[in-house]
Amino acid sequence: MDHPAKKKITRRQFIKGSAAAAVIPLLGSELPFYGSLAHAAEESDLVIAKNGSPAQLLQAAMTPLGGMGRFVKKGQRVVIKANIAWARTPEQACTNNPELLSALIKMCYVAGAKRVAVWDHTCDNYQFTFSRSGLKETAQKAGADIFSGHGHNVYKQVEVPKGKKLKTVEVLRDVLEADVFINFPLPKHHFATELTLGLKNLIGIVWDMEQLHKIDLHQCIADINTIRKPDLVVVDAIRILTTNGPKGPGKTEDISEVIASTDIVAVDAYSAAFFKHPKTGKPFKPEEIRFVKNAVELGLGKIDLSKVRVKRVSAT
Amino acid sequence: MKRAIPYLRRAVQILSFCFLLYLIIQTAFPLELKIPVDLYLRLDPFVATITILAQKEVILRMLPAFGVLLLVVIFGNFFCGWFCPMGTAIDFFDRILFREKKRRKAFNDQSLRRLRYGVFIFSLAAGLMAFQVMYLLDPISLITRTLVITFYPPAIFIFNHLLPKVQTLLPRNPIIISSIPLPLFKVNLFIFVFFVFILALGVVRKRLWCRYLCPLGTLFSIFSRLRIFRRTVTDDCTRCQQCVRECPVGAIPQETPQHYRQQDCVSCFKCLECPPEVTAFGFTTPSWKSTNGVDLSRRYVLGSLGFGLVSALVIKTNPLQTESGLKNNRLIRPPGALPEERFVSVCSGCGECLKVCPNNALQSTLLEAGLAGLYTPRLVPRIGYCEEFCNFCGRVCPTEAIRALPIEEKRLIQMGVAHIDKTRCIAWDTEKICLVCNEQCSYHAIVGDDKKRPIVKEEKCTGCGICENKCPVDGEAAIIVYSFGAQKKLKPEPEPSPNAKG
Repeated sequence: MDHPAKKKITRRQFIKGSAAAAVIPLLGSELPFYGSLAHAAEESDLVIAKNGSPAQLLQAAMTPLGGMGRFVKKGQRVVIKANIAWARTPEQACTNNPELLSALIKMCYVAGAKRVAVWDHTCDNYQFTFSRSGLKETAQKAGADIFSGHGHNVYKQVEVPKGKKLKTVEVLRDVLEADVFINFPLPKHHFATELTLGLKNLIGIVWDMEQLHKIDLHQCIADINTIRKPDLVVVDAIRILTTNGPKGPGKTEDISEVIASTDIVAVDAYSAAFFKHPKTGKPFKPEEIRFVKNAVELGLGKIDLSKVRVKRVSAT
Repeated sequence: MKRAIPYLRRAVQILSFCFLLYLIIQTAFPLELKIPVDLYLRLDPFVATITILAQKEVILRMLPAFGVLLLVVIFGNFFCGWFCPMGTAIDFFDRILFREKKRRKAFNDQSLRRLRYGVFIFSLAAGLMAFQVMYLLDPISLITRTLVITFYPPAIFIFNHLLPKVQTLLPRNPIIISSIPLPLFKVNLFIFVFFVFILALGVVRKRLWCRYLCPLGTLFSIFSRLRIFRRTVTDDCTRCQQCVRECPVGAIPQETPQHYRQQDCVSCFKCLECPPEVTAFGFTTPSWKSTNGVDLSRRYVLGSLGFGLVSALVIKTNPLQTESGLKNNRLIRPPGALPEERFVSVCSGCGECLKVCPNNALQSTLLEAGLAGLYTPRLVPRIGYCEEFCNFCGRVCPTEAIRALPIEEKRLIQMGVAHIDKTRCIAWDTEKICLVCNEQCSYHAIVGDDKKRPIVKEEKCTGCGICENKCPVDGEAAIIVYSFGAQKKLKPEPEPSPNAKG
């Protein structure tokens, strides 16, 4: 809480919250179900939705969490950190599913968002990644702005007080200043860190990504996640990349799931099991991935899924 | 009408210059313009002549240039005075910086006028022998190169500094659009100095460079000697010397203003502003005869020819140009480039590929490729890498020195091979996990061993340089791309079907 950017948001939210606290009781008589709708539905921490089109899956996954209205309030600015790092086509499953991104953006607008921005610091040239992945067109059609972090001016140097190895880092200013931050990862194989999951997706908010490899990649992934905890994590597990990650093209697998959660570690603990360990051939255990373990040590979430309220829903 | 012509000409010149600027700005992703962005270069008969002589085969892209030459035979040299963007720049600076004195004493420029023919013969001979330094003087190539290499980076620099201020004025999205990565070119200073030097020649005489040096102008002047559209003066000429003073290229001799040297005329029509109104332009019978022409002695012609041949030979036998041990193995040519020896003789150094490269990977050489390869493009991976799905450099090359390959074929061109310096590599030298090169490689050419240390598979490496570019080691990368001889075509790899179950 001693982080400057967080303080600013907290203050703003405090004012909004106090205004809402004053206004909502007044509206109470006209909207008798408002409170019950917003809170009674908030019955789990991690929702797995199966069976259905991407948009249906997202809808089904969000409802038990309390709906998008729980995270996005009217007039707020939303930042989605997508995974658009590589110049690959959507079928190759190296970048986010366009339909799902479109549904996510629309859902934010329905919840009353003032502006939705989709960000990524791409690894390949941003013009080629945005056009080949089809995500620029998708995002713009859905009414969002899509930005690439290829210019140094959109970053801000911040201290990482909780970081073990990373002390200062330059991250996207918009991520720090947005009202709502949604992490939108895509589980992929990754040769260096075994897997790319939700925690790893936040590497894409950093300016000097390659330097992190020089320090200690696993610890840096965990450290970066202490800077701004995403308000919501939506995992795009419609099709995942199981070999030749993260750039691909490699073998893909259709999981057809969307996972929504507020706990980024629990999300990674769950989605790690999509992949088989190259040595044992068994599904990955979350403890086998060092950055997830490091994140638990930093208190970023729960690795033990039995301690998380998990709900499986069917979209159709 | 007559009074409007100078204004019309100025307007056409400015429009022509702006159109070149527009084309250069459009020489960028996504490159979907209907007109070829290298239009001016394709219309340049000097570059066309030399490249076809050097390549010894017909270059389809350069053929429209000969249409321009045909027009010159009919209308005379209209290009220099009306359309040449370099001429526009020179005119502009002559006008604002160098006001010519009202009366200048007679200036015998016979020897200087001979110089341009000498330069031209020299460049033809040298072009025949595959020595391309004469491209440096071609005005279209020169202005394109100057605009791209020296003026485009400062323009982006200014844009990036104005961007935050403009963004605060926008109602949406306060200060979040990324600045454009600043393009960097190592040779910008040399090219800038040369450009300033050409402009500064105006202090001696207006358009001195155009009159006495420009090889394209010389080619036009040779062909416009037979022009059909000519200036005629009736016998009522009062010899008021108005036209002599006004002529920007000095094509009207003081003693006989009724005649003019049609080969030097740039059709600016300034002489139509004639106080006794005796000057007119119209179609007449062509004649090779000219007044007060240049005395090109046999000795002079043979001298220029011999000088061109010998210089070309001297440069060709330089160790950098031959297969000697001094050959620069870090000289990586763009994908689809012709074999080195032909590449340096066909590339006009115009800089179109440098501008279009989305990652600023292509750089102009200075002397890395020898004198014959001056200002030719090379891939410098530490500055930028070759983008996997990009074939823009081949598509904008006016002389086809870089062939336009389809994306799938370009992805198989091996420009070089990456080598790992194990003493500096993070993964080999320490216990840390790095593998940035493996993660970035588009062609699965870098694999990790069981200890997660990178190994290069030469048979898959295209030398795109993304590994060298992204390598987190300070200073020189721990993985470096080296070129070796001609570019090869790799065997295509069977694509894993996207729906295969893993």
